[in-house]
Amino acid sequence: MDTSFSQVAWLIPLFPFVAFLLLLAFGRGQRTLGVLLGSISSFAGLVLSILVLIEHMSDGTKYYQYSFKWLDFDGLTMNAGYEVTNLTALMLVVVTLVSFLVNVYSAGYMKGDERISVFYSYVALFSFSMLGLVLADNMLTLYIFWELVGVCSFLLVGFWFSKPEAKAAAKKAFIVTRIGDAGLLLGILLLYWYMPDHALDFVHIGNVFDGQTGIIAASVTTWIAILIFVGAVGKSGQFPLHVWLPDAMEGPTPISALIHAATMVAAGVYLVARTFDIFQASQTAMDVVAYIGGFTAIFAATIGVAQNDIKRILAYSTVSQLGYMMMALGLGSMTGGIFHLFTHAFFKALLFLGAGSVIHAVHTQNIQEMGGLSAKMKITTWTFGIGTLALSGIPPFSGFWSKDMILNTALHEKPVLFAVGVAAAFFTAFYMSRLFFLVFMGKPKGEQHAHESPASMTIPLIILAVLAAASGFIQTPWNNTLGTWLTDGAEKEHGGAGIVMVISAAVGLLGLYLGWLVFVKGTIARDAISSRAPWLVRLLERKYYMDEIYEALLVRPLRGLGYLLNAIDEYIVDGLVQLVSGTAVWFGRGGTRVQNGQIQTYGVVTVLGLIVLLVALVGRRFW
Amino acid sequence: MLSSYLTMAAILFCIGLYGALVKRNAVIILLSIELMLNAVNLNLVAFSKYGVVPSLTGQMFTLFSIAVAAAEAAVGIAVLIALFRARGTVNVDEYDEMRR
Amino acid sequence: MLADLPILSLITFSPLLGILVLLFLPKHRSRWLKATAIIATILPLLLSLWLYADYDSTKGGKAYEETATWLDVSLNKEAVGEVGSYQFELQYHMGVDGLSMPLLLLTAVVGVMAALASVHVKKRWKSFYIWFLLLEIGMLGVFLARDVFLFFVFFEMTLIPMFFLIGIWGYMNRERAANKFLLYNGIGSAIMLIAFVILVATAGFRAEQVPEKQQTNLSYCGSYEVITTNLTKADSYVNMSTEQTQGQENPFYLSERMRWVIFLLLLIAFGIKLPIFPFHTWMLRVHTEAPPSVVMIHSGVLLKMGAYGLLRFGVFMFPAVAEDWKVAIAILGVVNILYGAVLAVVQKEFKLVLAYSSISHMGIVLLGIASLNEIGLHGAIIQLISHGLISALLFLIVGSIYERTGSTELKDLGGLARSMPFISGILLTAGMASLGLPGLSGFIGEFLSLLGLFDSQQAVTCVAVLGVILTAVYVLRSILGITFGAMPEKLAAVRDARLIEAVPMITLLAFIVLIGVYPAVLTEPMKHGFDTLLQQLSEKAGR
Repeated sequence: MDTSFSQVAWLIPLFPFVAFLLLLAFGRGQRTLGVLLGSISSFAGLVLSILVLIEHMSDGTKYYQYSFKWLDFDGLTMNAGYEVTNLTALMLVVVTLVSFLVNVYSAGYMKGDERISVFYSYVALFSFSMLGLVLADNMLTLYIFWELVGVCSFLLVGFWFSKPEAKAAAKKAFIVTRIGDAGLLLGILLLYWYMPDHALDFVHIGNVFDGQTGIIAASVTTWIAILIFVGAVGKSGQFPLHVWLPDAMEGPTPISALIHAATMVAAGVYLVARTFDIFQASQTAMDVVAYIGGFTAIFAATIGVAQNDIKRILAYSTVSQLGYMMMALGLGSMTGGIFHLFTHAFFKALLFLGAGSVIHAVHTQNIQEMGGLSAKMKITTWTFGIGTLALSGIPPFSGFWSKDMILNTALHEKPVLFAVGVAAAFFTAFYMSRLFFLVFMGKPKGEQHAHESPASMTIPLIILAVLAAASGFIQTPWNNTLGTWLTDGAEKEHGGAGIVMVISAAVGLLGLYLGWLVFVKGTIARDAISSRAPWLVRLLERKYYMDEIYEALLVRPLRGLGYLLNAIDEYIVDGLVQLVSGTAVWFGRGGTRVQNGQIQTYGVVTVLGLIVLLVALVGRRFW
Repeated sequence: MLSSYLTMAAILFCIGLYGALVKRNAVIILLSIELMLNAVNLNLVAFSKYGVVPSLTGQMFTLFSIAVAAAEAAVGIAVLIALFRARGTVNVDEYDEMRR
Repeated sequence: MLADLPILSLITFSPLLGILVLLFLPKHRSRWLKATAIIATILPLLLSLWLYADYDSTKGGKAYEETATWLDVSLNKEAVGEVGSYQFELQYHMGVDGLSMPLLLLTAVVGVMAALASVHVKKRWKSFYIWFLLLEIGMLGVFLARDVFLFFVFFEMTLIPMFFLIGIWGYMNRERAANKFLLYNGIGSAIMLIAFVILVATAGFRAEQVPEKQQTNLSYCGSYEVITTNLTKADSYVNMSTEQTQGQENPFYLSERMRWVIFLLLLIAFGIKLPIFPFHTWMLRVHTEAPPSVVMIHSGVLLKMGAYGLLRFGVFMFPAVAEDWKVAIAILGVVNILYGAVLAVVQKEFKLVLAYSSISHMGIVLLGIASLNEIGLHGAIIQLISHGLISALLFLIVGSIYERTGSTELKDLGGLARSMPFISGILLTAGMASLGLPGLSGFIGEFLSLLGLFDSQQAVTCVAVLGVILTAVYVLRSILGITFGAMPEKLAAVRDARLIEAVPMITLLAFIVLIGVYPAVLTEPMKHGFDTLLQQLSEKAGR
């Protein structure tokens, strides 16, 4: 074969881009065009991605890279290009698959929204940007698409723009991720000036940092890694920049599944994986990544326990799982991070789409107002149940394998993080069982006319459920397929996984059982904790007061400074100028007053002048 | 001897100057101007008697100046009367045609 | 073939044709007047596009230069002894290079767009368009003039039309704004004139040997080339201190301190125009009081004249001084960025938000200039062009919104995306361009400026990056405030853009996207534009 599929990988982002342009031009007032174009383009992308992935799995043309000079003048050459590695091939499939399913799902979910074609154009633009981000062969190109996915996320979060909450959430999402982006930008600036030949592409970065040949000083390496990680923190909702992600749930639910669960928020993890050589060159940076990840995992999981909005619970769960991924990367296991990204994309997209199906049926997001839906929504219940089990880490569902791998690594590298991970796993299982039992079990509350969603919504659910159940088998403790394939065999599986498997499965089951006891059986009263330690529940409900802290520490001082400077600008900066011009005017006024047409005044002035003159003349003699 | 005359003349001049600049009534201003002229006359006479080179020239100038002052007073009063007829006042504050 | 035409003069004075036609049109025929004015602004655009297509960056702009003697003043020959002639020369000297080419295009483009946007003008069309076209002549001339006095003349030529355009067609406090504008810029011009006079009297002096007549011709002139060569050549008399001339008095010697003074004068003069931090208050008034189409010109082009002048006369003529001052310039830039951004966050009026955002964005230009390397300088120019286009677009939209809603107060606006999705979409995109979204022009300028500066001044750059965050804050706050959220009752009936408004919006956006996606359209003519400057800088570093 002369041309491999990898060589035409640039077509994959092009499909949704064409769809976006067409929708932009002809989308007005169209209702079905969006569904059609969105689904077709993402399906085409999916097919091509799968072909690329197959090609990469069959050891033929392993790698392809192409770039052209994008910005070029004396003293600066910036390339733009794409490259297909095993990692990108895998990500391409994840993105196009979820994107395709979400496109299909939205046909049902967004039916009846008058701006459906706008919605599809945004989704298409997002798919384009996300695929561009995945394919990018250098930091600058990646950064460009990185920002573009951010803006698409912003647009889609604020899709229902009339709602004040949506507006606020969109703004927050953009600004908070922008803080991370500023860090990433600085990282790129550093990288540019310290890399030999100012090369920014991943191949060179890998070569330079790989052997740690001392080309770049250790402190600079640490700085670069940490700044890149700041970008990842913003995008992937890691502590302390996680605050935007739960609020972003104001967007349509399919978007939450696509952007805020499966693809864009994972871009941070992907970025760290892409530049993994830089991180590995600096132990400090690795530790930072690991501890931030671990902390985020437990931090968000505990918040998830006390939330009542179905989507917010899932959002905190996403934050927590992203923390797992970061932790894995920080512990040196790229395979673990990417593996969890891979499985998480399926089961979390599944959970969100399932949640969407529930919301579609009952028109509320508060789980306290739901109940007993299992009778009316069989498919949703079953698929959601599979998602819950996968997320809770119950064998043999996919989440178990990936979580197990991370915990196993943690046990070998940093036992503290192992404990954190196990605790987070317990909380995860608990809040998921709480969610599941409150929504699907018990007596129906509120909306009585709930019914199963249309086929366009349930079929994606079924496909995702299959993947969520089975996708974990590509990497098991006995079978290091993914690790070998991703890292060229550089990463070895840690041995002695048996005990970890037992612990993680046990913890997951314990969490589920506890949830069952509390919310179905009623053995333990629901207010067992809230009656004894109301402050604790309150603390969790208010998300550890993070929003209030930001308000007090950043927003208010900034606004105060703004008002202060505004006053200074108006009264001091402009006031000085007014003073200067005022003095001139005052002199002029004084002058006119003397010119009053009365001889006597003139006479006085003359005499005064004479006296001054005389005094000056006489006084000079005595000087 | 000379200094007492000069002091006297200076005092007279200052009174006249004060009146000319401060008084509102045009007639008094004219009178004040006369005072200043007389102060000058006094100086002239004093210098003609006690100056470095005493001569009658000073006294001649004094007579000359008295005549001119008389003529000036006459013209001044005439103008003043004309103004009074036109404006109905001799208050110089209201004579501000120069500004208009 | 293009080189045979006096193309630069044609570009500059082609709007005169429009003025001539306007003079003969009856003053109540607003349609005819508008059409004439629009066509008259399209002329320079077409000509400058032609020039752009013809321009070869490797050869530079020498082929297009035009020189003519404008005014010769003979000076007293006896005073200097045996010479052929001794005179003061004012030249009509026009030229183009990598620095002025992009700005010329920007001026032409924004000119047409502003003429199109002037459909909202309600009164006295005839004089409006005459002033407008005069303003355009002045702007085009500023970027093409190659003689300090000619530059000065064109520079002043922009002031007077602006004064009337603000003072007659502006909003409520228009007279005050016009006065403030004239006062500030008048002071700036006066300072600039002082600097120019010093330059002409020292570095502008030249002695030409005429071998066939066996005599020397002495003259003072304001030619940019003569002054620059004299200033930068190591063995020119301007650089001869008294020690080097064996104790002979050298009246043309410019000491280090004198150069600092001239540079400072130029920095203040152009800093007022740019505007640099404490001199910015006039520009807020102009932004809020002038009619939107005039603000398009003002924010789009006139502010750029400040940066252009600073580069051309400040940095290009005194690279060594600029090198000494670069930290100060960078700090000024950062102050501009943060000060403008923080103030933009709390403004209640959309036009004021945009005014402060202009201050913030001009700070980025200063950063690019302060970098004094190829990357940063390119960044500064691209940022100029990009901000010109973006702010022109934003004010175009402001004009359209004001037409419909009668207000630009943020509290009166909201939810416009429902009633006017097209304008809101464009507004949002323009906002994104303004906050430096990749794929749109703002990113290129910002990124290159920061990248260039980072080489030598890392700490300053890190602070400047804070501006990137703050920009997002104020852009989103104001634009989402207008387009998102609940819509006030009375705005339910407003209509979306008409064709005459949509055309300039789409055109400007197309340019913004073009530069963002394919920046080579700008970097290509700019190639070699900074060669001499960078060479001198590296020589200085080597010394």
